[in-house]
Amino acid sequence: MAVTTIPSAGLTLGAQVNFRNLIINGDMSIAQRGTSSSSITSGGYYTVDRMEHAINYGTWTLSQSTDVPTGQGFAKSAKWDCTATGTPTAGQELKFRQKIEGQFLQYLKKGTSNAESMTLSFWVKSTKTGTYIVEMRDDDNNRNICQSYTISASNTWEKKTLTFDGDTTGAYSNDNGQSLQCTWWLGAGTNFTSGTLATSWESTTNANRAVGQVNLADSTSNEWYITGVQLEVGTTASDFEFLPFDVNLQRCLRYYNKTYNLSDAPASVTSTGILDISGFSDGSNNLLFDIPHKVRMRGTPTVTYYNSGGTSGQWFYGRNGASGNSTATSYSGRTAENNLSTYVNIGASWTGGFVAGHYTLDAEL
Amino acid sequence: MIQSVEKVYMPNDNTVFIYKMTTTDGIVSDVPHDTANRHYQEILEWVAEGNTITDNGGGE
Repeated sequence: MAVTTIPSAGLTLGAQVNFRNLIINGDMSIAQRGTSSSSITSGGYYTVDRMEHAINYGTWTLSQSTDVPTGQGFAKSAKWDCTATGTPTAGQELKFRQKIEGQFLQYLKKGTSNAESMTLSFWVKSTKTGTYIVEMRDDDNNRNICQSYTISASNTWEKKTLTFDGDTTGAYSNDNGQSLQCTWWLGAGTNFTSGTLATSWESTTNANRAVGQVNLADSTSNEWYITGVQLEVGTTASDFEFLPFDVNLQRCLRYYNKTYNLSDAPASVTSTGILDISGFSDGSNNLLFDIPHKVRMRGTPTVTYYNSGGTSGQWFYGRNGASGNSTATSYSGRTAENNLSTYVNIGASWTGGFVAGHYTLDAEL
Repeated sequence: MIQSVEKVYMPNDNTVFIYKMTTTDGIVSDVPHDTANRHYQEILEWVAEGNTITDNGGGE
């Protein structure tokens, strides 16, 4: 924002002007894992970065979509498309959520008399009209608060704004662990709907978490889109804070990154972006090498290796007298939040060799 | 969904290991022995459901 006039009383800036959005990738622009996954019947991270799908009924195609609200500046949205219906049993649920580290939440002053309110704004569109629930869940203290919103017009983008009171009970841990879940419920069994919606912070009672929630899985015509998600301190929603694409990507890399081009999903059959590495022998037939992460990750990542043919767990190797594919393994105790250490068994008595392949690193919450 | 998990010891050190986790879609991943890692947490849940981690011991 350009400042053209300074008032005589001086400037008064809020606590958080830049990077005020607690949600990472709220414009759904980054999708390192791929842009579409079909026949999904269980939970996980499938498309847009940082957004987790909690699924245990129905069948879904999950994608990064170009269907966005007109004239708002967004280019991408996240989409759920029901491809086989389901009715939840008592304990089943459909949720779309982002988990947030406690060290990013300290300025909310949760658990003190100065606890701050939070305001969530987002654009949403669905063919399934009715009541939906958003939940803020404090995982450190097993507490939650919920708000409902209504999709009143089918297949029409609507902006929703929900404010959640501050909580004077239970501080967030100041660490890299999971402290807050921001969750959009999309379906829930009676275990989550049989009570009274928790519109004030309370110790979590499952029956009070999704009262009134419609079932997005009740028709294969159902779709649900979301973009422009912003969670900020205070009781009003500011305009969505668009970050440069590269800055948004950098923030996502803390939780997930890959050697592939951004447009290539992991396990793609491609040599584009592949790493060719000469290394040293550890004396046990292994070629050993280290690669620093692009950015420091949240924690020690899960590593998935791929060869150029898309086979996981394997890298290609070549040495004097032999070549082929062999198992690549993350070196425990050396691979950490800042470094990937790998060994590949390429056989005995070699004097020169190389290995080649891709990898993904996952340190999501 | 986890299909199988194997404990793999590091070369020249039989006290340090990772978990080779294979999911039902055939993807093999290396999971650290770290409670802050979500896949390790999933392995713990998988074991709690009655499944067993393959452990062939350190070999080198």
